[in-house]
Amino acid sequence: MQLHRDRDEFEAAGVELAVIGQGTPRHASSFKDDHGLDLTLLVDPDRKTYEAAGAKMAGVTDLFGPKVALRGLKAVAGERVVQGRTIGHPAQLGGVLVIAPGGEVVWSHLANDAGDNPPNEVVLEAAREATAKS
Amino acid sequence: MFGGGKRPRAPERADELAGVVLQDADGQDVRLGELWAKRPAVVVFLRHYG
Repeated sequence: MQLHRDRDEFEAAGVELAVIGQGTPRHASSFKDDHGLDLTLLVDPDRKTYEAAGAKMAGVTDLFGPKVALRGLKAVAGERVVQGRTIGHPAQLGGVLVIAPGGEVVWSHLANDAGDNPPNEVVLEAAREATAKS
Repeated sequence: MFGGGKRPRAPERADELAGVVLQDADGQDVRLGELWAKRPAVVVFLRHYG
C-alpha cells in the first residue's frame, strides 16, 4: 500500500486508517517524519497483534524467491521505492484487516510472501463496502 | 525462526485484537478496539518500516 498517497481517500471512504509496525515509538516517529505521514501509527515490538491477526512468518523462499525479487525490482523501477533498514523480525510478514464496528473482520489480505501486498484500490473498495454496511 | 508453507488466515472476529493496547508514535497508549468502535477501521500490519 502507498500510505502517503492515499490516506485522504481512506478518510473519504469513512474508515479509520491505522498502521501497526514493529519497533519502538521512536522508530514509528522517524518513519512518519521520513514519509511525511499524518496517520495513526502504532508499534508492537512483541508482534502479538501480528499473531492475533494471523499474519505469516515467512519461509526463506517467501522472502527471497524469484517472484518476490521480480516484484521488488518492478516496484523499485516503477515507483522509486527504496527499502530502508529492516526493523523487527525479518521473517514477519504483514497484511491488512478491515474491521467493522462490533468487531467482525469483514475483509482481509495477509501476505503470503514478502511481495504480496494488495493494491490500494482493492482495500479502498473493501473499506467503502464496510462503511456502507455499518 | 522461519515458518513458511501455510497460507495465512485472518480471524473471523477481531475480539482478541480489540483488547490489545499499543503505543503510538508519541508514546501514547491506544486500545485497538477504539479504532473500530464508531466506524470501520482499516488496520495495516507493516512488514517493516522502510
